[in-house]
Amino acid sequence: MRWRAARRSRSIRDGVIPAGYDSLDEYDTAAEVDAAFRTLRRGALGYFAVFLVAVGGVPGLTLTLNWWSEGQLIGGMSPSFVMAAFGFYIFFWLLGLAAASLSTAVEARMLGGQETDPAEREGGA
Amino acid sequence: MSSGSLPLAGALAVAWGAVYLVTQVVTEPALGVGTTVLAGVGLTLLLTLAYPSALRGPRSTRSGQRPPGRRGVASRSRHTIAAVGRPMPLRSGLTAEAAMRTARLLRPLLGCDAVAITDREGVLAFVGPGSDHHNVGDPPQPRTSARVLAGAGTLVVRSRRTLGCAAPGCPLRTAVVAPLAIGKRIIGTLTVYRVDDNPPSRDVVEGMAGILSLHLELAELDRERKLAVDAKLGALRAQINPHFLFNTLNTIASKARTDPEEARQLLLRLSDFFRYAVRQDGHFAEFGQEYFFVRTYLSLEQARYGDRLRVRYDVDPRVLTAHVPVLAIQPLVENAVKHGLANKVEGGTVTLKARVDPLTRTTSIRVSDDGVGMPPDLLKKITSEAVSTPEGIGLRNVSERLDTLFGERYHFDIRSKEGEGTSVDLRIPLG
Repeated sequence: MRWRAARRSRSIRDGVIPAGYDSLDEYDTAAEVDAAFRTLRRGALGYFAVFLVAVGGVPGLTLTLNWWSEGQLIGGMSPSFVMAAFGFYIFFWLLGLAAASLSTAVEARMLGGQETDPAEREGGA
Repeated sequence: MSSGSLPLAGALAVAWGAVYLVTQVVTEPALGVGTTVLAGVGLTLLLTLAYPSALRGPRSTRSGQRPPGRRGVASRSRHTIAAVGRPMPLRSGLTAEAAMRTARLLRPLLGCDAVAITDREGVLAFVGPGSDHHNVGDPPQPRTSARVLAGAGTLVVRSRRTLGCAAPGCPLRTAVVAPLAIGKRIIGTLTVYRVDDNPPSRDVVEGMAGILSLHLELAELDRERKLAVDAKLGALRAQINPHFLFNTLNTIASKARTDPEEARQLLLRLSDFFRYAVRQDGHFAEFGQEYFFVRTYLSLEQARYGDRLRVRYDVDPRVLTAHVPVLAIQPLVENAVKHGLANKVEGGTVTLKARVDPLTRTTSIRVSDDGVGMPPDLLKKITSEAVSTPEGIGLRNVSERLDTLFGERYHFDIRSKEGEGTSVDLRIPLG
């Protein structure tokens, strides 16, 4: 069977890496890496949909709701201006954070082994 | 999109269409955009919140099916015999705390002066006059409770002397002592006292003791069921096929010369496999952990079958943290490999698909293969609870554990067509 290394954050320790492997630390099968990729892609598509709705919502509101362009919030700024000047940055930051957290969680659960005591793994009790 | 969300999406589209028609087309002049959006959002919220309830179906009408009683009885419902069935503390077993709560509940219900409950060792609870010297922990009265415990049946005590209380100022005069039994085994007594010379009704006390015994029997059944689930989980752990171990060790032995690195990886995976199987204590685990177990198993099988065994995982990110019954997915995958693909010369693909539907709050897991499938009679035999086949042991074990863990709140379905493959669907509440 062919084993492929998952490109994980762990550094490769000293040692000779056999041809075809990326790391000596841990190996995942092609199907496992493929599954993790598909799950990550599914999550990314979900976040992209949210991104599209938010970005598309601004011109949508401009076209349908007068208050969105003409109303005045803090300092006389319209809601549309506030959204473009500050809201988007906060939204993108939160979205990016959520997407990164999800990706890390998915990778941790779908690739590599479970956390075990190294001594035990090497033959201890 | 999960199947449960599709009807909701349709309903929302129809609702928004209806809102548009009503506010923009039918109404003259058309309503403002704000009002239309508000109506649409309100309807969306209503549908989204009501949808899971609609899927669950109408609420149980148990309270509406109570037999009609006289108004006077209904108004005293807290003190009716039926009230015993609702919060009966003995449903959790004959303990001191449960006995005390039961005695407090029974005293007004039976219209008596004092109630005592004992087990075979001593008094567990005493409520009413005389509680200053009838202490919890005292041994059963030799003339009354001890005789009932010895199998004398229900006793009616009509005099203070026969009651056997040595305390000079004891106000208790008469009593009825009835056995509490699980099957034919007497495990305690219910004693109902009066401070006058008219003993309580023997029939009422016997009836009440019968109800309590029934609750104790149910508690015992619960305990036995829990033990059975533990035993089934233990059996599943112990059931790891020795042939699987032999075959994997043979595979590793053959790789040791040609590909020592892969042999090392296989050994680590084998140790991971057994470590996970042995270490699971509870009845539930995160799907992510079960997924690890399944892929460990499949990677070992792939080492043996080579390119004949292909694997495809299709996992929703939200399902990874959902809780699923421990060791429930691997037996399904093992069946797919052993009975679906092992006998197919060109091999095939095992697919594990896992989804979460947040609206219906269910986790769906499907294990399918495109192997040899099963003829209808074999499928019937495997799904039949009465027949035991080697193919059905793992399935039945999983099915029985699901029965105990979820009652009727799960769905377990096996479909197979000869020559086309088998698919096992499992739908459980999201935990």
